Amino acid sequence: MRAVELQEVRFRYRGADADALAGVGVHADAGERVAVVGLTGAGKSTLLKCVNRLVPASYRGEFAGKVALFGEEIAGKRVAELCGTVGMVLQDFESQLFSSAAELDAAFGPENLGLGGDEIRRRVTQSLRAVGMEHLRRRDPATLSGGQKQRLAIATVLSLHPRVLCLDEPTTDLDPEGREEIASLLKSLCGGGLTALLAEHEMDLLAGADRIVGLAAGKKMFDCAAGEVLWDPGLLSSFGVRPPDLAVVAGELGLVERPGTVDEAAALLKSNGIGIRPGAADELVRADAAAAQEGRELIRIEGLGHTYPGGVESLSGVDLTIRAGEFVAVLGRNGSGKTTLVKHINGLLKPTAGAVLIEGQDTRALKAAALGQRVGFVFQDPDHQIFAGRVFDEVAFAPRNHGLPEAGVKERVTRALAQVGLAGREDRDPFLLTKGERQRVALAGVLAAEPEVIILDEPTTGLDYPAQRAVMELLKALNNEGRTVIVITHAIGTAAEYARRIVVMSDAAVIGDGPGRRILSDEALLSRAGLKMPAILALGRAMGADTLTSAQFLAALDRGGT
Amino acid sequence: MSSGFYADRSSFFHRLHPVTRILLLLLAFVSALMIEHPLPLLALALIYGLAAARTGVFGGLRRVIWLLVLVAAASFLIWSAAYSGKNAVFALGPLTVTYEGMIYGAGMGLRLDLMIFCGLIFLAATRVEEFTYGLTRLGLPFSVSFALSLSFRLAPMFADTVGTILEAQRSRGLDTEAGGVVKRLKSYVPLLAPVFAAALRRADQLAIALESKGFGLGHKRGSFREYEAGARDGAAMALMAALIALEIMARRAGWWTI
Repeated sequence: MRAVELQEVRFRYRGADADALAGVGVHADAGERVAVVGLTGAGKSTLLKCVNRLVPASYRGEFAGKVALFGEEIAGKRVAELCGTVGMVLQDFESQLFSSAAELDAAFGPENLGLGGDEIRRRVTQSLRAVGMEHLRRRDPATLSGGQKQRLAIATVLSLHPRVLCLDEPTTDLDPEGREEIASLLKSLCGGGLTALLAEHEMDLLAGADRIVGLAAGKKMFDCAAGEVLWDPGLLSSFGVRPPDLAVVAGELGLVERPGTVDEAAALLKSNGIGIRPGAADELVRADAAAAQEGRELIRIEGLGHTYPGGVESLSGVDLTIRAGEFVAVLGRNGSGKTTLVKHINGLLKPTAGAVLIEGQDTRALKAAALGQRVGFVFQDPDHQIFAGRVFDEVAFAPRNHGLPEAGVKERVTRALAQVGLAGREDRDPFLLTKGERQRVALAGVLAAEPEVIILDEPTTGLDYPAQRAVMELLKALNNEGRTVIVITHAIGTAAEYARRIVVMSDAAVIGDGPGRRILSDEALLSRAGLKMPAILALGRAMGADTLTSAQFLAALDRGGT
Repeated sequence: MSSGFYADRSSFFHRLHPVTRILLLLLAFVSALMIEHPLPLLALALIYGLAAARTGVFGGLRRVIWLLVLVAAASFLIWSAAYSGKNAVFALGPLTVTYEGMIYGAGMGLRLDLMIFCGLIFLAATRVEEFTYGLTRLGLPFSVSFALSLSFRLAPMFADTVGTILEAQRSRGLDTEAGGVVKRLKSYVPLLAPVFAAALRRADQLAIALESKGFGLGHKRGSFREYEAGARDGAAMALMAALIALEIMARRAGWWTI
């Protein structure tokens, strides 16, 4: 039975100069899990929104084509009428939770259906149990962790007893543990016969899909069994997904087998006569030592503690020294104190215990506005800083604030825009750019102040894989020029590839600090912070060399004379 | 996502019907407004304080105690100077401060504080959803009472966003503390665009989320929590009515007037 069927669906948002969906046909059978992949702007969100008629009912534009649920066309229906058939979990889960207790959020839908009190309470209990949150039913949603919030957002639509669940990038803002929570939740829900349609960039969820549909520029490019796609690294990355390390290695080595785990992969390579070259492990360690920065001391953090008004201690006893030219990644769960820590470096927060010194100067004696000249901070959401009607004025904001003459401002803006690959876009309206471009405008707006240190709070969150790489390559180039880069991230693979030094935080304290190779191979440390060793490092270790990237791994191999 | 004053307990007030709680709050305002003299106001505050002992209101009270002190001090100062009574205590230039003025000022401050206190008891014992439910039962359309309660819940989220935006611009050298009034007002311009954009985006997302969950279907709404008025509500209303009757009698008899 076809649970969802879209035929020749076209949609063009009002005022847009291209179709968001250009004649797409997609279907999902009852009980099937279908994942939609594609670069940002490919039409994934729009496609999902067609399923419960948010498009075209709540978005203005031109719509054509047919959408049917369980054989029945939905044209002319109201979105609210479909709530018992399609559960829609939107990208921004924060704005879907608006009650003062978890159970009341789960009750909202059934209350709208006009059900009796007993039935509402039964459904609330059932849906909270399905997402494993029955014990948190009276908690204020604002106090939940990211993974819990997302699970609650799913419960708030499950209580409507939908037959189809649509999820738009449900793991975007989550730490690795939260992502796993959602992946295993989806597995158990679909075991119960629910049909799921999800848009996703992350492998955690894609691995559990039955079928994967690839979209590009509003058109369907492929539609095939997940197994086919997940072992095609080239295809994955051109559709926005970071390919799994094992697939990259298997592809490069021309293996036809598909090892599901690191152990299987190690055994497979061994049986093919492939092993680590003697001396390869030492070469990697020597390369680390050669790359280690012994620049002058730039940031010194001593016994730093921070207690927010209201008594929440979010940092305690942090000691950290950062030297000029370092590339540091800060890892840890949501709420472990990462953002609080880095906000002390540019003076947005002042220590409540201990001190932060920037080249010997105490940040308590400096204004954040002045510190911004030396320490740039790129916030997670570019839309929290973009205000100007022209890209030029947006990027010129910081240098103008710092009192530079207009000629100097122009030079800085031109240079910053060139660095982020947006040269010549000075006169564009930043609000009309794509999310990835706005992210780069925001970055240019910080670079134009020419700070010595650049701090980025989850710069790759919500970006597709090529865009993530572009941002990280840009940071690498800036670092090569001598800038000090500090990045907060949940993407452990990205940290492994780019950062030379990794700081791990847990429960308001730094629990690990050192070269990436050493930190990421410390399994006990990683598990304390809710992190997992990258597969390529685990594979390398199993075979005798601590490799951080698949390129390093392949270079360290002795392929038996080939 | 709550007003922040709610205390998750099950005191007498927590268990009253939401409509009873709203009516009691209004009557408590009336009871405070009917008295001018600080002594009976203090007695009333003591009664309400004892009655609300188990609501968990005192946690919230501690957070806004500065406001209560400020209100009391300001009204004492203003009314002492503005009220014209007979018994002058001292004169300061053209101002004559009278004994009656001081009493009236103290009473006025206490009255306002008592009303704030009653509001805090209400917030400590009432979830926003219960407030919405009560308003709906009192005849307000659900969409109106829901919008009203939503504004309560969105305020802290919105404040968070404004905080983040302010931080983002400050780290790009925006100084909202330097210069004269005009310069400082101008410095807020780079905050307005992102704040509005964020608010619009949030409203948009919220509207879509609500619709997707069946908001506005037009059915008679069900309720997760069902409330029935019982003996407890009758007793509470009777006690409040008795209190107000007593005040009316005292007023007629001319007790505790200034």
